[in-house]
Amino acid sequence: MTENGVYTITIATPTDDIEKVHEMLETVWAKSPSVSSTDRLSFETALIELSSNVIRHADDGSGIRCVLTVGVSDARIEARLTDTGLASTVELVGRTMPEELAESGRGIALIKALVDELEYVRSGSSNHWRISRSRTA
Amino acid sequence: MDFTVQELEQGIAVVRGAGRLNMVSAGQLRELVAAAVAGGNSRIVVDLSAVDFIDSSGLGALVNGLKIARQAGGDLRISAPTDQVKLVLQLTNMERVLFPYPTVDSAYAND
Repeated sequence: MTENGVYTITIATPTDDIEKVHEMLETVWAKSPSVSSTDRLSFETALIELSSNVIRHADDGSGIRCVLTVGVSDARIEARLTDTGLASTVELVGRTMPEELAESGRGIALIKALVDELEYVRSGSSNHWRISRSRTA
Repeated sequence: MDFTVQELEQGIAVVRGAGRLNMVSAGQLRELVAAAVAGGNSRIVVDLSAVDFIDSSGLGALVNGLKIARQAGGDLRISAPTDQVKLVLQLTNMERVLFPYPTVDSAYAND
C-alpha cells in the first residue's frame, strides 16, 4: 500500500476561505500517516501563509479563483497554487523578519524558513506558486 | 474559531481561543483585545492552549493587542502555546516579545 498521492481543490473567494485549505490538509495527512509531525506542521504553516497571501493580494475586487494541488511522495511534500488574479509584487529574495513590533511582513520569510523551495512565475494572466519541503526521517 | 473573555482581578483579562488563529479569526482577536483594554483591563493574557494553529496574521493580531495594551499602561502575554504556535514564534524571532508563560496564572504572577 502506498501513502503517496496527489490532491486537488479549487478555491473561489469569497465563498471559500482559508479554512478550505486546512480541511484539504486534514484529508492529506489522514491518507499519509507516515508524514512526521514536524513535516505536517511546517508544510501546513507554509501553505496557509502562501494561500492567505494569494487570497489577500491577488484579488482585484471580484474574488479569487485558484487551483491548489498537493502531492506527497516518499521524498517530499509539494504544493502548486495557480490563480488568475493580479500579478504578485512581493519580493521573494533576501526576505528577513521585520522588527518585533511590526504587525505584518512576516509571511514570506516564514514560508522560506519552513520549506526548501518557494517559486513564483507569472505566465500570461496566471500566477503559479510552488512550495516544496523535503521529508525528514 | 471561538473566543471567550474572562475578567480577573487587578485589571487582568483572559482571552481564550479554540481553533485556528488565521486570517479569518485574527480580526476577531484584535477587536476583543481592544475592547477589553478600552473596558479597563489593560493586562491581557491570551490563552493559547486550545489554539492548534497560528499564522502571520494571527501573530500580527497579537502584536497589535500588545501595542494597544502597552499604550494603556498594561501588557499582553501569552500562555500555553501548542507545538505549531511554538514553532511559529521561534521561526519569527518573537519568543522575546511574546514570551510563552506555561499557564494563565503564571503570566502576571511576579508583577
